[in-house]
Amino acid sequence: MTETTPESRTALITGGNSALAVAIAESLVGDQATSWRIWLGTRSNRERAEGFAAVHSGYVTLVDLDVTNGAAWEAAVSRILETDGSLDALINNAGFHRDSLLATMTDDDWKAVIDSNLSGAFLGCRAVIPGMMNQRYGRIVNIASLSALLAPKGQTNYAAAKAGLLAMSQSLAKETARAGITVNCVCPGYIDTPALDSIDPEQRKALAREIPMRRFGKPAEVASAVRFLACPDASYITGSVLKIDGGIL
Amino acid sequence: MSDNDLHTEIKEMMIDELMLEESADEISDGTPIFGPEGHGLDSVDALQLVVGIEKRFGLKLSDSETARGVLRSVDTIAEAIAAHRAP
Repeated sequence: MTETTPESRTALITGGNSALAVAIAESLVGDQATSWRIWLGTRSNRERAEGFAAVHSGYVTLVDLDVTNGAAWEAAVSRILETDGSLDALINNAGFHRDSLLATMTDDDWKAVIDSNLSGAFLGCRAVIPGMMNQRYGRIVNIASLSALLAPKGQTNYAAAKAGLLAMSQSLAKETARAGITVNCVCPGYIDTPALDSIDPEQRKALAREIPMRRFGKPAEVASAVRFLACPDASYITGSVLKIDGGIL
Repeated sequence: MSDNDLHTEIKEMMIDELMLEESADEISDGTPIFGPEGHGLDSVDALQLVVGIEKRFGLKLSDSETARGVLRSVDTIAEAIAAHRAP
């Protein structure tokens, strides 16, 4: 039986120090059909990303990237293209939330959440598209959130940013389809990451009862969907929104 | 490269980048590329052409106003490339 050599691809994952980013990177590393070179975009916190890169040295590298800064995007993408010759997949994972009722939300809390979750993805897409158009191939996977669809109270900024990300992705998908670039979103629900550590155990149980699967999701369960959308096989899927929520919505 | 060769290479680039069904012989030099008399192309195609021109001919169209002027027809594209190549 002849073994097929995996094809080589390069991916950039922003918010590279998060548990989800590392889970996505882990999933790409395990991909049997594609040999991935992975860049983890990080800003100030790097410990988790550095630990992962140390275990997978040779094909996982950290790159400085403040997603809200256009010049930082240009520098990061240039470095990746100079090193690897191509950038095939962009996973816009960076973003945080600062929850409060809108009536008491500060300008800074509104802007910071919009900038990190939405504007960061805009800057990233703009930075990578010329290269992807040049090679007539690209995969952009934007990590949105179930909040974009459920719009819970206390998250007007986050829900607006993530809903904006869905609309931006669907519009962009139409612009880039002819060039072989797909643009898709995933909407994770309640996923067991350190971001949910602040929820007390009783509240967690109550939340889990609202989920048809009666449990929170695992980062690996989001990562495998992202891996599929980032891989060559997902070539006819674009402008899609994939909920990964255990059946909530 | 003669004028004719450059025009042909531009048309081949257009067919390749825009996935046109016409052959190079069926694309005329002076006819507007965009608009009602054109090939039914849109702004996304214009962006693809900008990328194709830079990739194939090394000519970077740095802003949309410049691009609009250059992308009027095969003739105007050829003029811009020839000027870019002139010593």
